[in-house]
Parts: sequence; C-alpha cells; structure tokens
Amino acid sequence: MSDALPILEVRDLKMHFDIGGGLLDRLKISGSGVRIDKPVVHAVNGISFSIRRGEIMALVGESGCGKSTVAKTIARIHQPTQGEIRIDGEDIASYGFAKMLPVRARMQMIFQDPYASLNPRQRVRDIVAEPLLQQTRTAEERKAVPARIEALLAKVGLSVEHGGRYPHQFSGGQRQRIGIARALSVMPGLIIADEPVSALDVSIQAQILNLMMDLRDEFGLAYLFISHDLSVVHHIADTIGVMYLGFLVETAPRDVLFSHPRHPYTRALLSAAPSIKERRDVDEITLNGEVPSALTLPSGCCFRTRCPFAWERCAQERPRLADVGGGQKVACHLVEEPDRDRP
Amino acid sequence: MTVQTQHALLAVRDLRTYFHTFSGTVKAVNGVSFDIGEGEIMGLVGESGGGKSVVGFSILGLIDSPGQIMGGQILLNGEDLVTAGEDRLRQIRGREISMVFQDPMTSLNPLHTVGQQMDEVLRLHSDLDAAARRKACVEMLESVGISRAADRLGAYPHQFSGGMRQRVVIAIAMLAKPRLIIADEPTTALDVTIQSQILKLMRQQIAARGASMILITHDLAVVSEMADHITVLYCGNVVERGRTRDLIETPAHPYTRGLIDSIPDPANRHPRLKQIPGTVPDIRNLPKGCNFRDRCPRAQALCAVEEPQLRPQNASQWAACHYPLQPGDLA
Repeated sequence: MSDALPILEVRDLKMHFDIGGGLLDRLKISGSGVRIDKPVVHAVNGISFSIRRGEIMALVGESGCGKSTVAKTIARIHQPTQGEIRIDGEDIASYGFAKMLPVRARMQMIFQDPYASLNPRQRVRDIVAEPLLQQTRTAEERKAVPARIEALLAKVGLSVEHGGRYPHQFSGGQRQRIGIARALSVMPGLIIADEPVSALDVSIQAQILNLMMDLRDEFGLAYLFISHDLSVVHHIADTIGVMYLGFLVETAPRDVLFSHPRHPYTRALLSAAPSIKERRDVDEITLNGEVPSALTLPSGCCFRTRCPFAWERCAQERPRLADVGGGQKVACHLVEEPDRDRP
Repeated sequence: MTVQTQHALLAVRDLRTYFHTFSGTVKAVNGVSFDIGEGEIMGLVGESGGGKSVVGFSILGLIDSPGQIMGGQILLNGEDLVTAGEDRLRQIRGREISMVFQDPMTSLNPLHTVGQQMDEVLRLHSDLDAAARRKACVEMLESVGISRAADRLGAYPHQFSGGMRQRVVIAIAMLAKPRLIIADEPTTALDVTIQSQILKLMRQQIAARGASMILITHDLAVVSEMADHITVLYCGNVVERGRTRDLIETPAHPYTRGLIDSIPDPANRHPRLKQIPGTVPDIRNLPKGCNFRDRCPRAQALCAVEEPQLRPQNASQWAACHYPLQPGDLA
C-alpha cells in the first residue's frame, strides 16, 4: 500500500431510497388514467472526494443534506445506488456481507448516540471485543484478546474495572469512549465518525475531541468526520466538504474554507453560526426559506431556491464541482460569472 | 437593547426545587436568585443537569410530584407565585408569562389546527369576539414571517417544517402580549441557518413589545448573541452572573471559564482544546463545600470545607468562588 494511494476514495456516489411502499400505495388514479408512482428520496446525488492516510475530512451541512447517508453508505450499512467506494484502492461498493468482513478490519464507525449504539445487555469488555473477535481466526489470536481490550480501555481513558460493567452505568462521554475503543479494536486505518460529539455537553465534547486527535496522532488514523457544528469542524478537520441536498457544493482545506468561502451556501452557513465573540455588524448572507424536499430536486442548481444570487442559468444548468485553485473546489456558476456576486 | 431599569419585573429569591425520588432527594435547584428588568433578555446557561429547565418550570408553577418547590420566592411585579393558587397561576400562564419549548414537534397538539391552538390562548386570556380573535391570530402569524397566514390557520402542525413550527410556537407565546417569555432551548432542535432566522425573530418580537425573556440554553454562543445578562448554573446553584460581554470576556468563576474555553475558537486555534476534567457529580450525592471543586484547577483546602457564596466581583459581575479569576488570569 503506497502512501500516495488515498485510504478512501469515493467517486460519483449516489444513494437513492425507494419509499414507494406496496403497489396499492403507489397507484394513482387521475382523470387521464392510472399511473404508478415511484417516489424516490434523492439522499446523495453523485459526490466524489478522497481522504489520505492520517487525514481528517469533515462533511458539514444541515439536517437532510445527506451527510449521514454518505457515512453509512461508505460503511456499507446501505448498498449504494451507483458509484465507487475505494478503500486502499479496492472498490467495495458492491461487496456482500462475507466480502465486507475483512474490509471492516480497515474501516470502523463511531455513532452519534452513545445511548443507542451500545448493546445494553453486553458488558463493556464484550462490546469492545466484538469487532476483534469477528476478525480473529486462530485460538492463539483469541487468547490475546483480553489483554488487548485492557490496553484499549486504558487508551481511551477508562480503567480495567470498567470492562465488567454495563453501558447504563456510564455517562454519555464515557459511553462515547467505549464506542471509540470498539472502533479502535481492530486497528483500522479509517474511522467514520457520524456526529460523535453532538449529543455531549460542551465540556465533555472537548474531552472527546482531544481524545480523537490524540488517537489520530498516535495511530495515524484517518477520519471521515460528519458534523453540523462548524466550530467543531474547524477545530478537528484538515479538509472540509460542505453538503446541500445530497450534493457536495464546496470542498477546501480548512483554513481556505473559513477564510475564503466561495459558495453562497457556505458563506451563509458561516455567517449564520453564532459565536461568543462580539457580534459582527452585518451578516454577509442570510437565507430565507428552508431546504427543498429531496423527493423532487430543483432543476439546475440544488441551492437556487434559497440563493440570493440565483439567475436563469442556475435553473437550467447544474453546476459541477470545479477546481478553483488552492485545493478548493466549488460547484457554483458564480465562479464563471463573478460579476453577479452582489446581492 | 441595554434598557437600564430600576424595577425588576421578575425577582427570584433563593428558589429551591427538589425532587423526592426512591434513590434520594435530587436538589435540582438549590438556592437560585436573580432579577430580570423590563425589556431585558437574561440567558440561563449550564450543562445538562444544571437545573436550568427546572428553574423555568418552577416559575410557571409546572413542577409536578415527585418535584416540589421547597422554599424561596418568585416575585412577578411583587406578587409571589410560589404561594399563588392554581387558579391564579392559570391566569398568569399565557397572559403574563408564556413559554417556548425546545421541541416544536411535540409542543403543538397534532390533533388541532394551528388556528384552534392560537384561538385557545385568546379565548382564555381576552374578551375579543371570534372575528377579532381570528384577525389577531392572522396578524400574529404574519408578524412571525408565515406567509398566507389566513390559509395556514386551518393547517395542522405536521404540515409545517420544524422552523415554521417554532415560528408558530413563538406566535402562540406572544399572542396574549405577555410581559415575560421563558424560552427553553428554543433553537436547539433547529439547523443553524434556521436558528439564526428564529433568533432574529425573537429579538425583534421582544424589542417591539417591550417584553422580557429568559433564554434557557446550553449554547453559550447563542446566549452571547441574544442576552443582556447571563446567569450560569452548575448543579442547581448560580455560580456566576453578570453582563454578557463582561462575563464572556472576563469570567470570574473557573466553571464559566472552562465552558468558554471548551468551545473551539476559529480565530485562535490550538491543537488541543482546553477541557474541564471529569464529569458533573451525582446531584443526589453532592460533595461537601464547592460542587465544582473536583473538576476545578484552582481548588484548595477551603473549597472542600465551605460552600462559596455569590459575591460581587466588580460593578456588574457576581461569582460564587473562593478563588475567583481576575481579569488577567490565564486559567
């Protein structure tokens, strides 16, 4: 495995969910006859990005933008509708359960809700050992598991005695530590973290973020970090992708994105985020209205219904994610027609 | 909005709300005092279990068994709500004090139209006839930014999005022109671009009506953009209170400082976040002395013995700490 090869490469990933229900639910009788609807949620609509070894890539966006679906599709909880998911160059998009098993030693997931993501009837040491036991084949390897679990618990700041307890005996922050230990158990190169600190109080959130950063430094982990919180993302990510309605509208290295956001949605998101600093005089862009339904996507640009700059071209032509230099990519017609960039 | 007033609209004095459970007495609110003047917005912040929501419910007399207000006074224009009867509280709720809850999905009745739920407030709290009530509802919906308001009166809550529902909840809270609005995490369930719309709306509505507000939230950033004053709760006690900018820029209590430092700061990025070590203690079994001492970098022997009292630190700030931070201190 060369260092040049990204640990994760996603190409043109699409995830559509058929929510039609049974035939009778879908049957629509109108004046002109009978027709069968096929309602589809367009959760993810062709996104591409890659993560290098040891890199932290964050996906941000508001609820319903598809960021969690991307995470779950890459973890192959969902079967993608279309596209490639390459782990160390190996396309796993169409793998079945058995073929995924060895891949799961290289990729693990941390979930948002530390209450729902741990089995309440398992002891902590069994929870942490589960992925590891799935990957061990010989009796000898099995023998090494208990010692490994102890080391893992220590690594995430829990003690050996904690291993014998049940999840309900822990606070939210401690439970998230257990979830991290479980993900780490197989020594994966990539961890997919879906809103790992959103359910935690701010002082506990800082503890978990610090732990994740320490682990990255120690083991050279790469993270795909899903979050809605821009201040958290700014703290942890090397690269940031902004999603809207299932599209990636902008990706850039962290400092570039925060200092020179190009897409109107990114700019709106940054100006809407509250801050403990003295209030800025003007909000650069304030959005009206809400995100349109993913059942029927707007024609052209996904953001045009709320964009203060939108003009005719935006309704006709879907902008493509184009390189604008400095590692920044933007999907917006304003890049080609900068004169229109005024409210 | 820095209206300076001599007269406190609401004065809470040494409020104690306890919950008697099988595993012990939970002192959720344990001696909380604060004042809110007319037209002021006060932020009540703290982490989960700090007691901030219980303060809100206590003011409205919404504490049910096993909870009980054990002591203290809640003075609304001098009238004590702790000793007021249920009939009097029913008159006050919705008319003098109204509440906006966190979750706009569950705080509206799914079986009644928005119009019915708005009309109910005016039927209870005004002498208007049906036509005048309807007119008032339409005007209110329009003022919170809902278009085609007259048509939307007939819609059910599920026909609105989350942000729109929270606008409806705010409209209902404002209908009877209350003097005080208690907003309990009003934007926590909303996305950031919708949150900024709702916060702006609340600021406008409060200013236009000269009402006061208690903004209960865990989010210091939201509070610092909205509030005139901030009160910080920890384990049911006020640990610090003060004018917003002073408290954010020069916090005196190590807990306030810890909360502020835990927020990643885009302008000043460090490889590691400052964290408050440990977790909130079990509120049924609080340590002797200062509740925060186990997590406090400044704790000394005295902190284990004597509970610190709220003392003035400067012209605008009060803190309950034996070793408060001075403006120049680093940690």
